[in-house]
Amino acid sequence: MAEMIKLFVNGVEVEVESGKNLIDALKVVGIEIPHFCYHPALGADGNCRMCLVGIEDGRPPLVPACKTPVAPGMKVQLDTGKIKKIQQDMMEFQLINHPIDCPVCDQAGECTLQDYYMTYDAQDSRMTVPVVSKGKKMDFGCGVVHDQERCVLCARCVRFTRLITKTGELGIVNRSDEARVTTFPGRPLNNRYALNVVDLCPVGAMTSQDFRFKQRAWFLTRDKGICHGCSKGCNIFIDHNREKYKDDIIYRFRPRLNEQVNGYFICDEGRLSYHAENEGRLLAARVDGKDCSVDHAVQAARKALGPKILMLVSPECSIEEMIAIKALADAVGTKLSGYSDGYIKAGDGDGWLIQDDKSANRAGLAKLGIDATKETFNGALNSSDAVISFNNDLFIHDTGSEFRQKLEKMKVIAVSTHNNTLTQNAAIAIPVASYSESSGSVINKDGILQHFGRAVQKNTPLADMTQIAGMLGSPIVTESDIASEMKKVLPSLTEVIPEGGLKLTESEAAHVPA
Amino acid sequence: MEVKILSAKFDIKDAHMLEVAKQHGAYSQLDKLFSMEPVAVIEEVKNSGLRGRGGAGFPAGLKWSFLPKGLNKPVYLTVNSDESEPATFKDRYILVRDPHMMIEGIIICCYAIGCHDAYIYIRGEYTSQVKALQKAIDEAYAAGYLGEKVAGHDFKLDVTVHRGAGAYICGEETALLESIEGKKGQPRSKPPFPAVEGLYGCPTIINNVQTIASLPYIIENGAAAYKQYGTEKSPGTHLFGISGHVNKPGMYELPLGLPILDVIEKVAGGVLNGKKLKAIIPGGSSTPVQTPEDAKDLTLDYESMAAHKTMFGSGGIVVLDETVDIVKLVENLAQFYHHESCGQCTPCREGLGWILKIVKKILRGDGTSADIDLLVELCDNIEMKTVCVLSAACTMPVRSYLIKFRHEFEAYVKKGASAQANVKQG
Amino acid sequence: MSDRSKLIVTGKPFRFDQERDAEFERLVKRYPTRESMILPALWLTQEQEGWISAEAIAYIADRIGTFASQVFECATFYTMYNLHPMGRNHICICRTLSCWLRGKQEIVDYLKNELGLKPGEIGADGKFSLEEVECLGHCGTAPVVQVNGEFHESMDVDKLKSLLATLK
Repeated sequence: MAEMIKLFVNGVEVEVESGKNLIDALKVVGIEIPHFCYHPALGADGNCRMCLVGIEDGRPPLVPACKTPVAPGMKVQLDTGKIKKIQQDMMEFQLINHPIDCPVCDQAGECTLQDYYMTYDAQDSRMTVPVVSKGKKMDFGCGVVHDQERCVLCARCVRFTRLITKTGELGIVNRSDEARVTTFPGRPLNNRYALNVVDLCPVGAMTSQDFRFKQRAWFLTRDKGICHGCSKGCNIFIDHNREKYKDDIIYRFRPRLNEQVNGYFICDEGRLSYHAENEGRLLAARVDGKDCSVDHAVQAARKALGPKILMLVSPECSIEEMIAIKALADAVGTKLSGYSDGYIKAGDGDGWLIQDDKSANRAGLAKLGIDATKETFNGALNSSDAVISFNNDLFIHDTGSEFRQKLEKMKVIAVSTHNNTLTQNAAIAIPVASYSESSGSVINKDGILQHFGRAVQKNTPLADMTQIAGMLGSPIVTESDIASEMKKVLPSLTEVIPEGGLKLTESEAAHVPA
Repeated sequence: MEVKILSAKFDIKDAHMLEVAKQHGAYSQLDKLFSMEPVAVIEEVKNSGLRGRGGAGFPAGLKWSFLPKGLNKPVYLTVNSDESEPATFKDRYILVRDPHMMIEGIIICCYAIGCHDAYIYIRGEYTSQVKALQKAIDEAYAAGYLGEKVAGHDFKLDVTVHRGAGAYICGEETALLESIEGKKGQPRSKPPFPAVEGLYGCPTIINNVQTIASLPYIIENGAAAYKQYGTEKSPGTHLFGISGHVNKPGMYELPLGLPILDVIEKVAGGVLNGKKLKAIIPGGSSTPVQTPEDAKDLTLDYESMAAHKTMFGSGGIVVLDETVDIVKLVENLAQFYHHESCGQCTPCREGLGWILKIVKKILRGDGTSADIDLLVELCDNIEMKTVCVLSAACTMPVRSYLIKFRHEFEAYVKKGASAQANVKQG
Repeated sequence: MSDRSKLIVTGKPFRFDQERDAEFERLVKRYPTRESMILPALWLTQEQEGWISAEAIAYIADRIGTFASQVFECATFYTMYNLHPMGRNHICICRTLSCWLRGKQEIVDYLKNELGLKPGEIGADGKFSLEEVECLGHCGTAPVVQVNGEFHESMDVDKLKSLLATLK
């Protein structure tokens, strides 16, 4: 816990954390200092001049809050006529050459310029001379589309590529009011985090090709989620909407701050992985190539359960799902494997957010003592005559070919979120809800346990994996049963999983029950 | 009125060449310098009262004493030879006519502050001047005044010329540092000040050419000798540039404190072709204008300028005769500052272009009285809201013209309105 | 300023000639960081070619080991860098304060007429290009004209006539 200090804002004493700048420190106590260019991940630049505040008896008396550390006894003025006038003036300067094309701008509804205009400006335009014209709809690469006229030159995007990705594709060329963000010819954005500039952009200058014109921001429901693209478990917002007469659809993922996990950013692959939640889904149950009800398929599957069936669980399953499936395997008296080498793309990770392991909860397998070695899996396969896979796609990323022949001779039951090679050749296929449509907990590769809630509510909801496990005979399926089981295997989990995740202790993370 | 301290060798043939310069005393102070303690050098300069000749007038010795002690980092000197303020053309004479005086000054300063790498930032437009300067530096290296052992003393000093490329803002000291570091010349927020965190993040002193060139005289003759020129608070001499509507425009070395009207009359030969004096820009284009009435008791020193709500600036005096159209002059200035805005801070980047467009609108006859009011307001809205003072360098003079010569702006508005009325009637 | 961000891509590779190469290597030792070579390298390019192409910017960035965007920023920020070929005789007329007061417009008008060029234009035959520039620091000898880097002070139309006659 940082040291707390007292200072005055508009004459009122507030207690804030030392070592922070005025913007960050006062934000914690609910005081907003408007700003465009400052961003906690990118540091203070000081170019927008929107955060100028008065310091009573200060030298100088007017300072940019982003560059001013809090100090004990400091007397900050935010509500004086002078400061309000400055804020209004800065907004006027930002807007004189802005196209004010909000009706066709993707950012409308979540635009800092719009919000600040209402709060700090709200005056009619005094601009009676021609505006500066610049580039529109510029393809910056990586699915980023730029509008130079909407840009406020805060340089967040430029700083992101220089300070964070260190790829430096963006720059601000020219000077005076001809200054503009651009890329060098032939060297467009080319990094795996490029789309973060869309979130960083406080206005509608940076838009995502993927999202452009798909939805108005205000129609979107924002739910918290955990990205399942890899074992990092980045925190995201799942922005979704059910348009009239249509189904609930995800329109985008956006990064959600978690200092412990991903900071302010996510990778582009993870960001765009929402498409897989909308597309390629297994929606109907199937037995022997014919669509049927889920009940019918489950009944058919139940008949196949026995000691000679190998159960295969996915490292994508939540802890809760794994618990239910493990209990099922124990009840049936058969082997359970978490073999899933296909989910690992060796060498793909970058030491930052992107991991080799493209599954969200491999650590969960270990925690529950579910064997995932190839040897055990192979041995179990040889002594089985059927396989039931719980969303484990053996052939993901074109892997598992060595098992293909064996599986062709076996009865395969696939409980799956998606259509894939396994479901196509399965005797029985049972659809289940994917992570955006259900809730659960996952442990990331750093041993951080995180919970996610249900975001999307489909018109015809698919059954949860735990529900299917219950229908198949698992004895542990109720929320409370699963919760008490979880606490058994995760001793540091005493109550609910806190926002931001629970860092499991070293010994616990390494603990594998016999 | 003229004195020859800095300009002593300006009229000597080939004084830019080392051999000739040496005959007239160049580098004669180095033995004395190295016999002094660095702190004694700083003290002497402090005592001389020498103030920065770039425009801000900050006491040079005091600036040096801000360098933090005991840091395990190199100290840099950058000599500001960007000289870009319109009406300023003094440092150029030093670079071309007596570059060795400046190089000797660099050695003095570097010894005093413990610097072994100095950079001279020269504006890109000074094409022939940069060649002359480089030649002098090469001569100094060849003669052992620069390099591993300066004049045989155990002191290493490298001097590198870094050439700008057309950006007024690089005269601002932190923009200059950015430019040397290979970036756009965009000023840094202060604090930290360059003396603490400057070039490459190291303690850095930035001094104007003329400031540096004043040092050999001070070391040779002592602080007291220097102080016999000028006024108590503005001691010494200055290379004044007088341009515009005078009979004898040019560069003149004068002690500080002389009455400006006398100087225009007696030194610069009076207003060109006997016309009437309309106004004076006292210290470069960014300084607020003075009417003849204002200038009656105005003297050429920092204090008098401040008392007249204007500035000493770079000592570039511009004389405007009765024919000058003030609105067009403001257009000329606004265009300059707009063109030179580095584009970093919102009010300067967007606001100066707006001001220029409104002035053009008034000149076209499309302006209104409200536009004139708006111009005044914009000056207020922009000024002192930015990282550096470029915006103020525009708004301070523009405001002064708007206030002192508002009738000329109104005349354009009136002319425009009646022309439009005629069009409608016709 | 006008937009300078539309670089010319020649389709031909660029590199320093031997002389500039040597000068680059000499200068790079003078700075603690290689980025400091951005402005000097742009100057070397302009000396060699007369102007700076997209390929040259990429070359400089790669040679220094910095982002092309940073060199691009500098090339467009500093207005003395020519981002397209200029006339064989590049004439700059100072347009600012003292030169304006002392009749720079007559010079511009004369050149416009005589050369058939507006400031900012390059003649079809490539002999001349004309540019109005900001203060050149020769206010005491205004108006001033700079041709191919050389200053011509206290100009008037007569002097200009004889100057033009000497240019090839």
